[in-house]
Amino acid sequence: MTTPSPRPLSWFIAVLVTIGAIAVRGQAPPPPGFSPIDRTNEAQSKQDATLAPHATPPIATPVDRIPLDKISLPSGFKVELYSSGHPGGRTMVMGPKGTVFMGTRQLGRVYAVVNNGGTRAARVLLQGLTQPNGLAIRDGSLYVLAINRVLRYDDIENKLDNPGMPVDMTQAFNLPTEVHHNWKYAAFGPDGKLYVQVGANCNICEVNPGIHSQIRRYNLDGSGMEIVARGVRNTVGFDWHPVTGELWFTDNGRDWIGNEGPQDELNRVVRGQEGAFYGFPYCHAEGIPDPDIRRPQPCAGVVMPAALTGPHVAALGIRFYTGTMFPQSYRNVAFIARHGSWNREQKSGFDVVVARIDGGRARIEPFMTGLLDAKANEFHGRPSYVLPLEDGSLLVSDETNGAMYRITYSAGAGR
Amino acid sequence: MVLTATRTAVVTASILGLIPAAAFGQASPVTERIASCSTCHGEDGNSRLANVPSLAGQPEFFLLNQLVLMRDGVRMIPAMVPVVGDLTDADIQAIASHFAGREARASDEPIDANMATRGRELAKSLRCGSCHLANLQGRQQIPRLARQRIDYLIRALRDYRDGTRAGADTLMNNAVAGVSDADLGALAHYATAPQP
Ligand code: HEC
Ligand code: HEC
Repeated sequence: MTTPSPRPLSWFIAVLVTIGAIAVRGQAPPPPGFSPIDRTNEAQSKQDATLAPHATPPIATPVDRIPLDKISLPSGFKVELYSSGHPGGRTMVMGPKGTVFMGTRQLGRVYAVVNNGGTRAARVLLQGLTQPNGLAIRDGSLYVLAINRVLRYDDIENKLDNPGMPVDMTQAFNLPTEVHHNWKYAAFGPDGKLYVQVGANCNICEVNPGIHSQIRRYNLDGSGMEIVARGVRNTVGFDWHPVTGELWFTDNGRDWIGNEGPQDELNRVVRGQEGAFYGFPYCHAEGIPDPDIRRPQPCAGVVMPAALTGPHVAALGIRFYTGTMFPQSYRNVAFIARHGSWNREQKSGFDVVVARIDGGRARIEPFMTGLLDAKANEFHGRPSYVLPLEDGSLLVSDETNGAMYRITYSAGAGR
Repeated sequence: MVLTATRTAVVTASILGLIPAAAFGQASPVTERIASCSTCHGEDGNSRLANVPSLAGQPEFFLLNQLVLMRDGVRMIPAMVPVVGDLTDADIQAIASHFAGREARASDEPIDANMATRGRELAKSLRCGSCHLANLQGRQQIPRLARQRIDYLIRALRDYRDGTRAGADTLMNNAVAGVSDADLGALAHYATAPQP
């Protein structure tokens, strides 16, 4: 690694400025974890004021209506339906015995998709949880992170019929109570710690920087919390670079200041600069000051993104690829699922892209396309997360259709 | 407390057998099941019971979504447990389509004109119409507010604000974060009969 840069000092100043800005507002002192009401000024956005988030069907799309035939990939790649019948399934983790666990948002379910020699069977493993989007697996235990709850199911793959009562670690993790943007993403880092995000609980507002808009890491029992990144609006996907071991995360940009942005981000946490400040709510993308929440020098001390991933595209899942099935040029690239825009008149995203990393920068290229019909301004599915499998193929979850697609490559095919 | 009293009345009705929870599964189960909803939600899906929402004219997707959440125990409504627990996806689709196709009628509660006027301003600044649409008729997963019962609207808004509506889409928690009881009341009086 190179010598430490002066950045830690500048983010420290940024945090001081943040705290100052809150104090200056002059209203009653904010309670812990406070965030005032959203400060969106919709009149200035010049967007169709009736744009709204898309609905997720709570029941399964029949197999013959899953839009497999719409999907296109670079030459030599093929897509097949890996499994279906898990409505709303988003995040994916695989257990040592090959079970894929899927988390959902509003449906409150965790699915287990079991591989029986070529056919897959999906079942509801857990239900009635509040947005269990965060899943992580370690030593045979499934960690389930619902909104501000942390549960651990031990020896889960031997208990798929009856997972029993979990170990409830909610208190130890002590996550805030606000719900918006607080469905979780979680993953184990190379340091063995559990990384979890705490989103901004608004579209745009002054957050308490000690609580919201962070990525944190914890020991397995919920102790030893450390803040890894600050000023992060809402990341729901991160992974570690296979060579440098550095954390890379996607981040969703704010809404209602125009169709063209600010763009979503792909960010990198430079080793030795854990705790750095990524700009929310004052500074977006590559240095766009926020029009609603202002401070002097809004972008001072802000770590700029490694790449912009597109306006409103909702870049969610990211995983680095270390397999050998895909051509050599895909070694160590990151695959990013772009869930697709709602706060944009002309829809964008609804695809999977590749991020090719070069030092601290990344270049974004299309990979899996076709689920967006740009002419009709309609979408057929919403890629949410990606999961590289041991054989080098890649799973993509489609939340809208309750399906997983498997992408393979063979040289000479499709030429 | 008024709310509790109403809830008890509803539950009692079910215990007294007004809602034949066990008597399904004969000739046309879905039709019978739909009939059983009317005890609480009104003959034509327009409720006349305090704190019980009207279902008539709701977007089909909204009804489908909420019924799945109730069946799965995500949105727990004690009064409804006996009538939703065993529904299949197909039953739920049929029920959602039935109520979506009924005409929404105005509630019989009096609207306070002053509150409604104040509510209109609040709704503008909180952008209720961006999701629920300007006439508050709803769409897809977003419910109709127009012609809904005022007492139910107030209660729903309070549940979102206080984080006590389980399984809610967090967009609504965000939309009413920190809004006072008085303002929630004003929003409800406006929302049931939105005037330009
Ligand atoms: C015993 C009374 C009772 C019966 C019977 C009943 N419900 Fe309900 N239902 C309620 C109450 C009370 C609520 C509101 C709960 C709350 O405050 O969140 C409700 C809420 C709902 C909602 C949510 C509406 C909204 O706007 O959020 C739907 C949908 C619904 N019921 C459908 C049905 C259907 C379909 C049936 C028949 C199969 C039925 N209910 C039978 C009492 C009942
Ligand atoms: C960003 C989109 C959005 C905005 C803005 C919004 N809503 Fe909603 N609203 C929703 C969604 C989605 C639901 C369904 C939530 C659920 O699944 O529980 C909902 C549900 C509701 C309900 C529950 C009705 C029922 O039948 O159960 C009420 C009442 C309501 N909204 C009122 C309002 C009011 C008043 C405002 C303005 C202060 C508002 N909403 C702003 C998206 C929105």
